[in-house]
Amino acid sequence: MIRVILSFLLLFFYSVTKAQIANDSIQRLDEVVLSDVKLKRYASGFKLKVLNDSLLKKNNSSFTDILRFNSNLYFKENGYGMVSSPSFRGTNASQTAVIWNGININSQLTGQTDFNTINTTNFKSIVIRSGGGSVQYGSGAVGGSIHLNNTLSFTSHFDNTATLSYGSYDTKNVSYLSSFGNEKLSLNIGLNYIDSENDYKYLNTDERNDNGAFTNGSINANLGYILSEKNVLKLYHQSFIGEREFSGTASTRSLAKYEDQNFRTMLEWSHLGKKANSKLKVAHLQEHFKYFGNQNTDNYTFGKVNTYLINYTADIDLIKHLKFKPIVSYNYYQGSGSSFDDPNRKEFSTTALLLYTPSPKWYYGFNLRQDVNSSFDSPLLFSFDVAYNVSDAYKLKLNGSKNYRVPTFNDLYWQQGGNLDLVPETSYQVDLGQEMTYKNAKFNLNAFYIKTTSLIQWQPNGSDWSPDNVDKTQNYGIEASLDITKRVNAHQFSLQSNYAYTVSEDLETNKQLIYVPYHKANINLAYAYKRISVFVQHLYTGEVYITPDNLSGPFDSVDAYQLTNFGCNYQLLKTKSQQIEVSLKVNNLFNTAYENVAFRPMPDRNFNFQIQYKF
Amino acid sequence: MKKIILSIFAMSLFIVSCSSDDDGTTSEPLGAYEDGIIVSGEGSFSLPSSVSFISEDLMTSENQIYFNANNETTGGYLQSIGFNDDKAYIVVQDGTIKVVNRYTFEKLTTISTGLSLPRYIAFEDNTAYVSDWGDPNDTTDDYIAVIDLTSNTVISTIPVSEGPEQILEESDKLYVSHKGGYNVNNVISVIDTSDNSLETITVNDVPDEMFIDESGDLLVLSSGANQYWLTPAVITDAAITRINLSDNSIISNLEFPSGEHPSLMTYEDGIAYYILNNEVYSLVDNATSLPTTSLFNITASNAYGLSVNDNQLFVTDAGGFAANSTLLVYDISSGTETNTFSVGVGASKIYFN
Repeated sequence: MIRVILSFLLLFFYSVTKAQIANDSIQRLDEVVLSDVKLKRYASGFKLKVLNDSLLKKNNSSFTDILRFNSNLYFKENGYGMVSSPSFRGTNASQTAVIWNGININSQLTGQTDFNTINTTNFKSIVIRSGGGSVQYGSGAVGGSIHLNNTLSFTSHFDNTATLSYGSYDTKNVSYLSSFGNEKLSLNIGLNYIDSENDYKYLNTDERNDNGAFTNGSINANLGYILSEKNVLKLYHQSFIGEREFSGTASTRSLAKYEDQNFRTMLEWSHLGKKANSKLKVAHLQEHFKYFGNQNTDNYTFGKVNTYLINYTADIDLIKHLKFKPIVSYNYYQGSGSSFDDPNRKEFSTTALLLYTPSPKWYYGFNLRQDVNSSFDSPLLFSFDVAYNVSDAYKLKLNGSKNYRVPTFNDLYWQQGGNLDLVPETSYQVDLGQEMTYKNAKFNLNAFYIKTTSLIQWQPNGSDWSPDNVDKTQNYGIEASLDITKRVNAHQFSLQSNYAYTVSEDLETNKQLIYVPYHKANINLAYAYKRISVFVQHLYTGEVYITPDNLSGPFDSVDAYQLTNFGCNYQLLKTKSQQIEVSLKVNNLFNTAYENVAFRPMPDRNFNFQIQYKF
Repeated sequence: MKKIILSIFAMSLFIVSCSSDDDGTTSEPLGAYEDGIIVSGEGSFSLPSSVSFISEDLMTSENQIYFNANNETTGGYLQSIGFNDDKAYIVVQDGTIKVVNRYTFEKLTTISTGLSLPRYIAFEDNTAYVSDWGDPNDTTDDYIAVIDLTSNTVISTIPVSEGPEQILEESDKLYVSHKGGYNVNNVISVIDTSDNSLETITVNDVPDEMFIDESGDLLVLSSGANQYWLTPAVITDAAITRINLSDNSIISNLEFPSGEHPSLMTYEDGIAYYILNNEVYSLVDNATSLPTTSLFNITASNAYGLSVNDNQLFVTDAGGFAANSTLLVYDISSGTETNTFSVGVGASKIYFN
């Protein structure tokens, strides 16, 4: 199989010699500015939702809350600020990939990303890509992927944003963003620090969230330098250092504490050639956690993984209307931890992306990937996508793919229980989308089907627990979203809403999987007039089962809940070069008692005041 | 939903109290759970622990009785329950003991100061003794917490070696099996409660279940170490050891063939019952060797708790800890399964109230 892929790749490399020179200026600009070209160009048949920096900066919300209120993703959060894991189209947390500037950053230890260890204020945009993306983004892109993007702008500018906020539970947040650019150099830096006692009251009880304080700091620093007309060098860096107490449940106290350290650095060299643009990336990722069962002692357990990555890709115009992007990548993962020796994994992968655009109405994508891995056999992955612009107002999108989720270091090497005979989870899926635009309104409707086999599940095995490839699941459902913006003179109105119906069931028992709501909906209403803007967010999350029996009741399910937030902003100062904006946000406006995870209450009504200075 | 359950519960109490008023008998029921079987469920990583009740005649059952009585859960990892006078002491690994009325399961108080990772409780007069691992990652801070039952406070601690597990009181002495916590230990601590002096008896690795037999000897099941993942692997033999309590000498030490690691044993009327690979074996008090044939086999996918009462054997099947466990009831003389009940997640202990 590998030979087939390699010869397939070689064939195309040879044909490059015949390729056309068709690098239009837009594409060249993309090459320079975008960190992840394939997200924009090789995803025509996929549903993409972009959350841009104005939303990320204004909202002053956790990443979990931003996605909860602005997308179809469902989150399982162990109390506010605690471990937060997503479910994308009914899949589990390790089947949602988080991509930082084109690189998969899901933990090699758990296979998932804790969304409360990511601070979003320093990103230019967040893109939610629905549907399978393992060909492009590797392990875990099963339900979909979340992309954190930084851009480097080579237009002349120097912008600064300083933000201070203070809120309930003694929550302090300071952030500073600076972006500088000229025709040669682009630099942006983001600093963020947040500290919260997070000791919210558990509504309807006398208890508080006593062991829930968290503090974290993050640095994003990105640098781009144009070496010559044809060569651009870029450096991306992100650090996150966090310390959290792990809160207990409504009736269980906790003394636990968790420390996270994540460092990500990537150097990228782009070469703009006559026939092809190529990119060479080298990156180092480090994840490191320490868990203190009792924070009053010095005893802890830890896990640490270093990832070294080298990746080469080219964007080639093969013939007119046919674009080709081969990617070769080598990853080396080196782990250590309290529960295993020093395992490592080597992985070589080849990917080929093809995009055919015979007319402005049609896009066809076809993609293949094969990994060769030192620990287990990886399946051949494929994906295809088609987009058809029926008219300016109506677009059809279709995609299908085979995706995977590889066993994690914990799954393979955990002592005791790790299973070296595991194989990757594999999944097939199709997704049909329709996009309708009418005047200021945009309506999206998607239907999807996902079938996953060889699901990795930890099960008791005698007195030990051990993972095995056991379960089969299927997920299907629909997603709808409606966006309307309307301007009447100086009055601006906007409405954004999402709804998802998701069935995610075990194929043997035909029961809904735990922590997947059948229904989830959110709506955002905003109104702006001159210097004032106000918004209301509302979220509905349906009942979720917490045991496979699909029964309702306090020990079997978490009740449905509705949650409303309200915010208002006022621009105190508004000149061309300087703006000062103050904002007040009320979370959980109606003081609703609710839980995301059983017996882990979420915050009562709380307030946040923010002042932001742009210059 | 909770409100509905509560109101139903409140209503049922009302009905109970009405009916007892009406019939005017003197033996008023002490509570809904006065007679019957109490099964504690440890819970799991994501699901809270709970307590289930099954009526003595095996006709009715009720899950989450502590929650139903108090509208709060017993928290994560309920380790064991101790019964003393009219109270039950629910020992939870998060460092608390919930003291309840054993007949109504209504909470009276919570003991939490001075406890770290409590496991089992024993009583002597007005004092309780609780085995506690301390910080499970620290091999030298394990102790027995001494609790005054009037004030419900920890009044002193007795340092012991790694991983104290089950604890029982006999003739003013405490016997503590040191399973070893996160490690392996091989001693029984003997504590004289008059002066807290400590002696130890060495047995096979990983001693856990303990009973006093008909002749007043101590019966101990040690599972043997089974740390196959270590290099080199640490694997030792399991054994049932009988100890003369007058001089702490070993009367008999019946070792299992290597590779066999039984962990569940119970005792009634001169016979110990243990489970090995889903087979139930019996061992009489004067046995000089382990039985070679089993009494009968059971159907559990994950036998996790064992108890005997009145010639009936009770086994909990914890399954995969993702949903409720099953309590299986066997008639010992015929070896047939007579009843099954759905009980709490990770059901591990069976008590007769």
